[in-house]
Parts: sequence; structure tokens; C-alpha cells
Amino acid sequence: MTDTTERTFALPDLGEGLVEATVLEWLAAPGDRIGRNAPLVELETTKSAVEIPSPYAGTVVRLHAEEGEVVQVGSALVTFAVEGPAGEADDGAAGQAGIVGRVPQDGEAPRRRVRLRPPEE
Amino acid sequence: MTGTITEAAGAADASAPRVREMSMQQAVNAALRTVLREDPRTLVFGEDVGALGGVFRVTDGLQEEFGAERVFDTPLAESAIIGMAVGLAMNGWRPIPELQFDGFAYPAVDQIVNQLARMNYRSRGAVPMPVTLRLPSFGGIQAPEHHGESLEALFAHVPGLKVCAPCDPQDAYRLLLQSVRCDDPVVYMEPKARYWDRRPVELAHDPGDMPVGRSRVLRRGRHATLVAWGAMVHRCLQAAEYAAEDGVELEVVDLRWLKPIDAEGLAASAARTRRAVVVHEAPLTAGLGAEVSALVTERAFGALAAPVERVAGFDVPYPAGPLEPQYLPTIDRILSAVQRTLEYKRP
Repeated sequence: MTDTTERTFALPDLGEGLVEATVLEWLAAPGDRIGRNAPLVELETTKSAVEIPSPYAGTVVRLHAEEGEVVQVGSALVTFAVEGPAGEADDGAAGQAGIVGRVPQDGEAPRRRVRLRPPEE
Repeated sequence: MTGTITEAAGAADASAPRVREMSMQQAVNAALRTVLREDPRTLVFGEDVGALGGVFRVTDGLQEEFGAERVFDTPLAESAIIGMAVGLAMNGWRPIPELQFDGFAYPAVDQIVNQLARMNYRSRGAVPMPVTLRLPSFGGIQAPEHHGESLEALFAHVPGLKVCAPCDPQDAYRLLLQSVRCDDPVVYMEPKARYWDRRPVELAHDPGDMPVGRSRVLRRGRHATLVAWGAMVHRCLQAAEYAAEDGVELEVVDLRWLKPIDAEGLAASAARTRRAVVVHEAPLTAGLGAEVSALVTERAFGALAAPVERVAGFDVPYPAGPLEPQYLPTIDRILSAVQRTLEYKRP
């Protein structure tokens, strides 16, 4: 028997700093098996309608918004059951569905490698 | 007009606190409300700024509050937007046009350079151009082409224009009030990557204590000065945090005004720390960093322990999407430049 892990996909930034989107149509339903990058949902922002591909391969467990409902960037959109234990299932795709644009988050301080040596006084 | 700000967004409620936490995008919105209330000659217009409230929600709710005659949408025609601002200013209005993205300013350059910037000069001061051109600028949001450019050197090179770029919500509010009240044309560059940065903002801030052209020291240090503007200020503050772990104390100067530049303030800081590194997103060659380097060198040459270093974008078109982190100055590139100034030995 294969382990499965629940993964919740939050509405990513759809570009140009737009902060919310309306769910136009779900292209998958709870119980459906879905492939990575398969059509998942159609959203409409104030700028355009966009089809969001699935960030995971797995089974759709829950939809967090009805059609017609407005979802804020960062809010839960859909939960999947993904095969594999927690560590392996996490491919870093949450929040990144291959769409242009993202809201920079504070607290994501870029890492450093260079170390400094203070000058001799 | 007294110049005293008594109202800002929602502040009509006397019980509302004077200091509120808000994002930079909300702070710009609040500043626009303030100037629209205080001066009936102010007008806000551009692509999608009216009914939609701007693609970044910066003008959200303004058309509802001030009406479609003062806050209105224009055709997708940047040259016409600035040409209209010039005509309105000639007739006594105080226009605040928006060009939706940095890269969309190029079609308007003729109107900006040939009309807006020199009408005051051409008319021997009879026809001032109190226009504030709002320009969402710089990169960092991994958007497509034309959405991440840094045009400050282009505009700073044009006689007659003033140019500023805030780095946080409070200064975004303060600089916008100052820009709109100024009788000269100002290019006001909003760092898109910092739009959602939330900080406490004092809405009734009177910019009088920070005259046009004044920089500010955001962090004190004694080993080297980092100079930046817009979103790179935040990155320099992060670099200064890392440097402190190694016992190196970096001073961080937020330039704020890119023209006029605070040459005295820059020189004073560089003279204290004896080393300076200027950081910007724009390509290196003929970027504003060269001007900063020249000003510091001219004024503080005797005090400097090392040549002024520049950390900048590369001399390529601004890359879209996933290549952006490879283009923008990184913490490591900033720290490496600092190290070069620390190690420098006179030949």
C-alpha cells in the first residue's frame, strides 16, 4: 500500500500584483485523479481569465471555493492527496503553478555565501 | 492653501489613529486621497486607474470618492496621457497621470522630454508644469517584459525633471505629497516589489522637514556606506544585517531623490565610513550609480579608503520571469563589493 499525503494548494499570485481572483469553473471534482499540469480550474482576475494547471499529480480531496466565489491570493484553493510520504511528496510546487509573477514575501531573506572580514583598525 | 494636511484616507473619523499600518500601495492611495481633497485642481488619470482602481489597486476607490471627472480612464496611449497632462497643466490644473508600467513610458518620452520637462524653461517661468507622473517601476515581481525596468537614469538626465523613488510606505506617502505640491514635473517611481510591504504610516506627515533632494540614513555604520533607492534599499538593509554577523558595520543611505541628488548627504556619509558601494537594478553602464560614484569621489576623495564600488544589473534587456534573480543585485554581490572596498590597498 502506498502512503498518501494531503497537500493544499493556495491561490498563487497571478501577476501584476493582483490580489484576488474569481473561480469561474472547476475543471476537476473531488475524487478525480489528476495529472501534474492538467487543467485544474479557470479563474478570472480583473485583468484576464486564466486556466490554472494542477501543481500535483494525485487525487482531488476538497475544493475550498465555489464557482463564482472570490479567492484571495494565498488562500486555500484545493486539497490533493498525493502519493508518497510527506517529505517526498513535497516538490516545492505549492504556491507556484508555473504562472508568471509572485508577491515577494517579507521574511524570505535571500541566503548569503560571502563572508566579510572587518578591516584592520 | 495652508499646506497643512488635516485629512487623509478615512481620517475624517476623529477617533481614527494618526498612525496606521498599511502597505505601500495603500499609502500611495492615501496620499492621492489627501491631495485630491486638499486641491480641487488635482486630477488622476491613466490606463485602468478609474473604474478598475489600477492593476495594483493603487487608485482603488478614488473614482467613487472624487468622481469620474477628476479620476478617469484614458485610452492605451501613453504619449496622449502625458500630452494631456501638459495641456491640463498649461490651463491651471495639477495633473497626476499614471503610466501603468515602467516599460510603457517609452512611447511617452517625446511628450515628457520635449514638452513636460521644458515648458517652464521655454516660457521663462510663465507656464510651470506641476505634474506628478506616477510610474510603477523596477523589477522583482517576475512579470513579463516591459514590467521590470529602471528608467531613473534616463529621466534624471533630462533638464527640467525631478525624479524620486520611495522605499517604504511612509516615504511613499510623504514623497507623493511633496511631488504633487511641487510646481515642477516630478517622475515618481513606485517600487512594485515593495507594494505589499506593510509598515506603520503617519498619515498627516508634513514633508516640510524633508526638503526635496534630501536623502536619509536608515542604518548607521562605520565601515562602509551602501547607497540605494526603491526596492534595493530593502536588500541593502538585509546585506547590512548579514555584514553585522561578521563584525562589519554598514551604513545604509536611502537616496529617495534621484534628481536632485543629495550630493552633500552622500559625501558626508562616505567621508564618515571612508567607503561607499552604490546598488541599483538598472544596467551598470551610464546608470545612476555612475553619478553617485562621481559625486562621492568629487566631494570626499581625500577621505575615501577605496574607490566607490557599483553593484548593478547587467547590460542586457531586463530578463523576464525566472531569470530575474540572476539579474538583480544579490546579497552576495553586494557583500563582495563591500569586501573589495574593505581590502583595497592603494598601489
